[in-house]
Amino acid sequence: MTITRRNVLLGATAAAALGPIAARAQTSEVKIGVIYPFSGASAQIGVDAQRAFETAAEIINGKFDYDLPLARNEGLPGLGGAKIKLVFADHQADPQKGRAEAERLITQEKVAAVIGSYQSAVAVTASQICERYQIPYLSADNSSPSLHRRGLKYYFRAAPHDEMFSQAMFDFFDAMKKKGTKIETLALFHEDTIFGTDSSNAQLKLAQERGYKVVADIKYRANSPSLSAEVQQLKAANADVLMPSSYTTDGILLVKTMAELGYKPNAIVAQDAGFSEKALYDAVGDKLEGVISRGSFSLDLAAKRPMVGKINDMFKAKSGKDFNDYSSRQFMGLIVMADAINRAKSTEGEKIRDALAATDMPGEATIMPWKRVKFDENGQNNDADPVLLQYVGGKFVTIFPTQAAVAEASWPMK
Amino acid sequence: MTAETIIQSLASGLLMGLLYGLIAVGLALIFGLMDVVNFAHGEFLMIAMYATFFLFAFFALDPLLSAPLVAAALFIFGAVVYLLIVRFAVRAKANTGMVQIFSTFGLAVLMRGVAQYFFTPDYRSIPHSWLGGKTISIAGIYLPQPQLVGALIAIAAFAGLYFFIHRTDFGRALEATREDAGAVALVGIDKNKVFALGWGLGAALVGLAGAVMAIFFYVFPDVGASFATIAYVTVALGGFGSVFGAFAGGIVVGLVEAITTLILPPSLKTVGIYGVYLLVVFIRPRGLFGSI
Repeated sequence: MTITRRNVLLGATAAAALGPIAARAQTSEVKIGVIYPFSGASAQIGVDAQRAFETAAEIINGKFDYDLPLARNEGLPGLGGAKIKLVFADHQADPQKGRAEAERLITQEKVAAVIGSYQSAVAVTASQICERYQIPYLSADNSSPSLHRRGLKYYFRAAPHDEMFSQAMFDFFDAMKKKGTKIETLALFHEDTIFGTDSSNAQLKLAQERGYKVVADIKYRANSPSLSAEVQQLKAANADVLMPSSYTTDGILLVKTMAELGYKPNAIVAQDAGFSEKALYDAVGDKLEGVISRGSFSLDLAAKRPMVGKINDMFKAKSGKDFNDYSSRQFMGLIVMADAINRAKSTEGEKIRDALAATDMPGEATIMPWKRVKFDENGQNNDADPVLLQYVGGKFVTIFPTQAAVAEASWPMK
Repeated sequence: MTAETIIQSLASGLLMGLLYGLIAVGLALIFGLMDVVNFAHGEFLMIAMYATFFLFAFFALDPLLSAPLVAAALFIFGAVVYLLIVRFAVRAKANTGMVQIFSTFGLAVLMRGVAQYFFTPDYRSIPHSWLGGKTISIAGIYLPQPQLVGALIAIAAFAGLYFFIHRTDFGRALEATREDAGAVALVGIDKNKVFALGWGLGAALVGLAGAVMAIFFYVFPDVGASFATIAYVTVALGGFGSVFGAFAGGIVVGLVEAITTLILPPSLKTVGIYGVYLLVVFIRPRGLFGSI
């Protein structure tokens, strides 16, 4: 069939005519905007995130026998069984595009709430727009601590932030030191956007407070074509622990360059990000036996809480991957938001905001090792306990804190 | 800062610089030939890296063996791009420069999109190859074998290119077309054929670079972006259209990058490159070895 200009025009006219009807017919739906990178250097994150959100939507909209809010009912009972409809938007890891896309989601798509966004730098702009339109923004997986300290009324984060994560790391160092392990010097290696900067600031402060010496603090340019000179400096510093805060691309290059320059640190304790991504372990996993990363999720939990394994299977059927630190938080992000909308019994921003602020979800009703979901006056959940995971024999095991641990840490790494 | 750190940084910078040169030379060649800047140059590198990756994944072909195949495939690709796109873009009656920019820029966006659609945005890399992860250590200085071999391939490619341009009939036709496309038509040389072969050659060189890069770098649809930026500044620094300039420019960029990282915080390492470039523009606007 040849497509003529007239066909295209006819099609466009038809679509334009049908548009409003379709929109009017959707009253039994609640639209939630999901803003992630779907193109550019971190597009794979967006692709996986979409599967995680779709898994959560499937559970909310369908009927499942899980001890998870909204699982046992079809849709949102508080809104007459309305279904959740996800509207995905691509911010390309660019804060300006994030701002524009958030505005489009709110004004054009009429979403009731926005969830985002992987890159913390984008969360800054997207949540500002949401604040202006009085639409709740929930950080599913942004971890920069500065995000909830901006006095925003419509900002929420159910997951831990980097200070909590870093604190867990230093608690772990203290515990290891008590057992007689030598941990005196640290090397920080972080990328130059808000994620790496906030992460290293938190780590610097904690190191100072607890008497660890930071022998190298290297801020590098994200997506660098080469990290030889940076790794050379890490090698010269030769700290007891290397602490990278890197996204996947730089993480792969870092590990490869370390091997090429003959640098084998005693231990690596990573601020997640790239170090929880399958792509990184596919590429350089053989060089990372024993690497430790912080996380807010661990599949170990499935032994205690069987629904974790079942929900993981649902996600795996869609994405071909197990839940990781990011996809699990994205999944929980939608559950927490939908739970609030259900209790608000409304799609008005202000009512959803008040319902979010009143959230009190026990940890057992989540797939995370958290105590509970309850927001403080800044919108931060301080009961989201982070865990430390060690990569052993091709998978992650929880090694810290002791109550969640299933194995002893092996130190130094192999 | 020890002497060892300095020597190591310079050695790494030199090796990377030679690779930057190899990536950039195709760009310089095409520009020199017909005054067209290929904005899809980074994407040429990207598909070369994907080709190397897939030849490894499906046929277990080591990147060193697939390098000539990838270069040959890119040669055809480059020639086709000229014949199907650039040939028409340069015919534009008005705003020729803009049409050229947008046609190759559009091609870049298209190639990225197609790659993301078919290959997914996941990061791929070749986990085991003959050279991957191997390194030579001389007196505490580490020279990674992939970069070392890459640097040797770059030197060989430059030597071959030099010979080709100055000693073969086709090379002379290339030079002549570049000097005066109208005059060569009078002596019976088909301008389009020369341009197509020039594009093929330029693409083949970046193909060679892509095959080497795939040994030690990850591959994803946007991988070309950061290398393309370096290639543009390399060409501008070395001199537009000068093949030797691209070679020298690559080395300068690699070394300046390494030295900047030693002195300034590493997040500012591109500052050095652009600083030097602006200095060159100030003293010698056509670039170090530019003849235009």
